[in-house]
Amino acid sequence: VNGGTLAMDRAREQLLAPAGLDEALIGRALGRLAGGGADLADLYFEATSVRRWALNEGRVASGGFSMRQGVGARAAHGGSVSFAHSADFREMALDETVSAVRTLARHGDANRHPDGIAIASAGAAHSLYPPVEAASAEDAAAWIALLERIDRIARAADPRIVHVEANVRATDTTMFVANADGQSAADVRPATVVLVMVVAEQNGRRSRGQGGFGGRWGLEGFTDAGIDRMVASAVRIATTNLEAIPAPVGEIPVVLSSGYPGVLFHEAVGHGLEGDHHRKGLSAFTGRVGERIAAKGVTVIDDGGIPGRLGSLGVDDEGTSPDRTVLVEDGILTGLMQDRFNAGLMNVRSTGNGRRQSYAHLPMPRMTNTFLTNGQEDPAAILASLDRGIYATEFGGGQVDIVTGRFNFTTMEAWLVENGKLVAPVQGATLIGLGHEALKHVSMVGNDFGLDAGMATCGKEGQTISVSVGQPTIRIDQMLVGGRG
Amino acid sequence: MSGFLTHSEADLRDAAAFAVERAQALGAQASATARNEGSARIEVKGGEAQKAERDAHQTLTITVIRDSRQGTASTAAIDRDSIIRVVEEASLIAAQVQPDPEDGLPPREWLAFSGAEPELHEAGGNYVEALLSTALDIDRAASGASAPGGCSIQVSEAVAIATEGMWALATSDGFCRSSRYSDHVRWCLMLATDAEGSASEFFESRDRRVTGLASPDRIAGEAIARARSVLNARPAPIWRGPVMFEPRAAAGLVGELAGALGGMAQCRKMTFLPDPLGRQVAAEHVCLDEDPFEPFGLASGGFDSDGIAGSVRPIIENGVARGLFLSTYSARKLGGRSTGNAEGFYNLRLSSKRRGGTRQEMLAKLGSGLLVTGFQGGSTDSATGNWTRAVKGLWIENGEVAHAVRGVTLAGEIPAMMKNIVAVGDDLTRLGSVRTGSLLIDDMQVGGGA
Repeated sequence: VNGGTLAMDRAREQLLAPAGLDEALIGRALGRLAGGGADLADLYFEATSVRRWALNEGRVASGGFSMRQGVGARAAHGGSVSFAHSADFREMALDETVSAVRTLARHGDANRHPDGIAIASAGAAHSLYPPVEAASAEDAAAWIALLERIDRIARAADPRIVHVEANVRATDTTMFVANADGQSAADVRPATVVLVMVVAEQNGRRSRGQGGFGGRWGLEGFTDAGIDRMVASAVRIATTNLEAIPAPVGEIPVVLSSGYPGVLFHEAVGHGLEGDHHRKGLSAFTGRVGERIAAKGVTVIDDGGIPGRLGSLGVDDEGTSPDRTVLVEDGILTGLMQDRFNAGLMNVRSTGNGRRQSYAHLPMPRMTNTFLTNGQEDPAAILASLDRGIYATEFGGGQVDIVTGRFNFTTMEAWLVENGKLVAPVQGATLIGLGHEALKHVSMVGNDFGLDAGMATCGKEGQTISVSVGQPTIRIDQMLVGGRG
Repeated sequence: MSGFLTHSEADLRDAAAFAVERAQALGAQASATARNEGSARIEVKGGEAQKAERDAHQTLTITVIRDSRQGTASTAAIDRDSIIRVVEEASLIAAQVQPDPEDGLPPREWLAFSGAEPELHEAGGNYVEALLSTALDIDRAASGASAPGGCSIQVSEAVAIATEGMWALATSDGFCRSSRYSDHVRWCLMLATDAEGSASEFFESRDRRVTGLASPDRIAGEAIARARSVLNARPAPIWRGPVMFEPRAAAGLVGELAGALGGMAQCRKMTFLPDPLGRQVAAEHVCLDEDPFEPFGLASGGFDSDGIAGSVRPIIENGVARGLFLSTYSARKLGGRSTGNAEGFYNLRLSSKRRGGTRQEMLAKLGSGLLVTGFQGGSTDSATGNWTRAVKGLWIENGEVAHAVRGVTLAGEIPAMMKNIVAVGDDLTRLGSVRTGSLLIDDMQVGGGA
């Protein structure tokens, strides 16, 4: 069990008590922050420590540790937000941070809560991930051994592997948020990711492959089987690409395998359904809720409540429990993702998608775990249906232009297919499409749903956070593939 | 103390030196950096502030080296107790990792104990009020822009940001220097709407001095002109031939070229330019020069995070590679001397021995083809140089803009692209660390039709 009183006790002990703070002092600071009538005001406290170990050329010769903590103070009046943060939140420093926000907000000296705001004791408990210490100093020898094993199995997998790099990054975050409505919540968030990069060489030609594996857990979550899978995938990508030919150019059918290629839905519809873009009228999907944007059988969900996933949150960074939001239901655009600020202005409720990179950043509506749900088709039959096209199994990431709805993503492992058979691997190519058009061409949805291996990140307005993406195998009848021809 | 800084340069030098002393007391060599940065950001729309943010942070990072074993630790609080804690953490890590003979401090004789220090800081006044009034001015100047029939051009956001920062480096060889800088950015983001939907365009001005920035009227005017240019876009054809890159896109290509000459890429052989020194890596009229010391340069510095100074030098001369960007670590791996580039490259300038001409003359040289105005995504394979992008741009016919394009991909191989540079325009523009004019490159693959 995590969140609730357990996390609150942890936050008191690790965050608040060392700075001499208690709920009464925080309530008084919140009263000043809300001043004469902010529509929303909150204080977000956070402590983070990170440990990393890196392997290069067969040895772990690099390790690091970092620690940081701070408070972010926000007040909103209508659509105008003021925000300041500080690494120091002892009483005096907290006062100064609140004063900085009041100065920015330019709403005078009034204070409707001279005695402070009474803060409810704790948010809801959850069991999405345990309150373990992922970045424990005690685990050093085990992490080093794990990285050395990655090096061994990668080199043993194929004699053409000439270079292996791997690293682990384990993060512990304890957060506490309290707002001017008297609500508060705390959470303890472990997160660990192992990454591997290999280089293969053959006849003077070099190519790289990469993979990752992670979740909201510590060392105990890294099974040998999971590590073996990650390394095998990286080795396969590198050795496959040794033979890659230039990708074709033009509008052709594509089949995307299950798992990480679901980044398509993160880019093609996810970002366009974040509430802030709709409030500002900037999304290509603005005004299209209720319209058909995809073929029947296409259902896309954002769910922050999947156990162990890096995109999951017991409570979001505003203290709201995350929803399972249906974004596209059987092809019809149905839902938006909201934080408290945008939800308040749009007169709806938060869906628990208020996330921030750290205390030093403003929360925004962000995705959690976003995926296409299972369909009926056999993945082998989907591939066999391709007369001439591209079969893509790994992508290097994607982007979307919210305003036009035009998204792109780049293949890292893909094949040219003819008559349902793999002909040759192709070099990286950018695939582009228009969010409200491309999904109409999804003609087959497989029954082999999978999420990514636990290493996906998402960037928005300069803030990077962990997410998950996923899908079953799908066929898209028409997509622009931009290879060298 | 003006502006946003919460510490003085002397505070930072003291904190870094204290960390190094603590590590030395544990019998180790060490280097420490201390940084402090503060900023304010104001975003305006419709004559009102939408967001007002104040940022202030500091970090101390200590690297401890004992018997070629190295550990690093950092803290966002730079009080003595926190520094003592991270020195102990770094020391513990150094005891756990395996030795790497290339790790460790640079030889003392490489260090820039003194030497040129470019001016990078301009003292500021009442930043928040000034930023608000600037952002309001940009918003006002960009509002009410005229658009062709059936179209509209509106302000999405007008933003003004001011940053002040400084950093100090101390090492157990007695090095202890600091540097301070300022940085100002303003931009205007516009929304251009036609019958097909909307698209956004922007114009940004950045300088270390307020006096070096474009005026609110110019920022608004450029943003409006760019927004107008993207209206009524049409698909591009699938097409192979010459492509011209506006400076803001060209700067990205220069960055790719410089990245391939970086020390770590060279050590790992993860570069499409292996063993490049003395070899032809670009068209023979192309030169690339580095200058660490340009006053108020956006990538200037007197020394890197190893304490080593860079130099004014040619990187590419008549298309031939003459220099790499090396840190102490990568220099040791490659068997050379650091070039003072532990933090990456300093100010770069791409030029040509051939006359390039104005933008209009460059477009005439292009004749018919694609003018790339920006990148929207894609990737570069660092091993092969395979390069693929989604791009924004304009279709050119007979040297004139015919129409904006939408849904376009562009692909090539960077080594070939660099050799296929036909001309570098006279429209030299500074974009962060890179100065370049427009680039005209032959034989690119355009994909369109979406």
